[in-house]
Amino acid sequence: MHEKSPLLTAEKRERIGTRYAKRDRAIGRLPAVVYGHGRDPLAITLDAKSTLTQIHKGEKVFRLDFPGHKEADEMQMVLLKEVQFDYLGTNIVHADFARVDLNERVRTHVHITFLGEAKGLKTAGNMLMHPVTELEIECRVVDLPDHVEVNIADLDLGDMISASQVKLPMPDMKLITDPNAVVAQVVLAGVSKAAEEETVAAEGATEPEVLTAKKPAEGEEAAKGAAPAAKGGAAPAKGAAPAAKGAAPAAGAKPAAGGDKKK
Amino acid sequence: MALMPKRVKYRKEFRRVRDRKATKGNYVAYGDYGLQALEGQWVPGRVLEAGRVAAQHFLKREGRLFIRVFPDKPISKKPLETRMGTGKADVDYWAARVKAGTMLYEIAGVPEATARRALVRAAMKMPVRCRFVGRRVSV
Repeated sequence: MHEKSPLLTAEKRERIGTRYAKRDRAIGRLPAVVYGHGRDPLAITLDAKSTLTQIHKGEKVFRLDFPGHKEADEMQMVLLKEVQFDYLGTNIVHADFARVDLNERVRTHVHITFLGEAKGLKTAGNMLMHPVTELEIECRVVDLPDHVEVNIADLDLGDMISASQVKLPMPDMKLITDPNAVVAQVVLAGVSKAAEEETVAAEGATEPEVLTAKKPAEGEEAAKGAAPAAKGGAAPAKGAAPAAKGAAPAAGAKPAAGGDKKK
Repeated sequence: MALMPKRVKYRKEFRRVRDRKATKGNYVAYGDYGLQALEGQWVPGRVLEAGRVAAQHFLKREGRLFIRVFPDKPISKKPLETRMGTGKADVDYWAARVKAGTMLYEIAGVPEATARRALVRAAMKMPVRCRFVGRRVSV
């Protein structure tokens, strides 16, 4: 693993902060940080192009070289722990690396790759849901898999594969993800029942309930009952009096607001 | 019927700053592909509904469509030819606060080409520039 791991040339960052990181990115460097093993975190920059190429390939373990820096380590094995994206999620703007030993057990996420075509998908109207796209596992760095394969060929409508049913590549690997998490399930496509109910409920209402609205006093209620047309402004959207609404919805709002609008 | 909250704490609210970048809800979380806004805007509930209908009509009961934003902001509007003053106007419509980067819709269970064509139809209804995106690389 360590010989195959890509080599990244790092430079120590002398000045840290948003502005300096931005300047580093402008000249083709990727700001990053290395931490772990009880030592102080070290802010570094890497060549953005080569680093991002490796990250997009799916590499996780790297060798970090610090040429010309005696105080920094000569060569470090590091594990990619996290990447930060810009607001559009297009570009990686920062990376976190953790110092690791090759025989150390680490926790990391691995992608799930589905093998075969599910039996249930041959019927029209069925679809494959896979809410979990990666599993968190604990394993030795040298055993770190690129992906975990899950065979879904036997999945029929209603069948599901949970995280605990996934066979991990090595016997000493430990699953950290919730064992009951659904990895793959063949379901009927379309709107769920809950969503349908919500839609129906929303259609019934024309105006939301206001929790802090003042409740009218008894005297006011009596007055309101005497002249219901005058209070139509409280619900101007699709109220009970279409004629009044058609004439001027705002006209109904005037008495409700207590204002004296003038033309 | 356009989407709106079932209950709110206050009937009206301040306008607040619109032109910001999304720091949450800006990645594909539920589906396989998504429609991402590239600009900030208040998107009315009826527009979101129009986008949903356009995409779902194209999908023809295939796959599943997720709406990632909800119109929970009341937008008030004074009637025409009304003098200024006399307090804040009545609520005209409900809008979702969409920032640059916000994911508007997501689709699961269909091939990329189908998802793209469905979401392009939804994008045509949107008052903001949008783009089609997939799940981003994760570590």
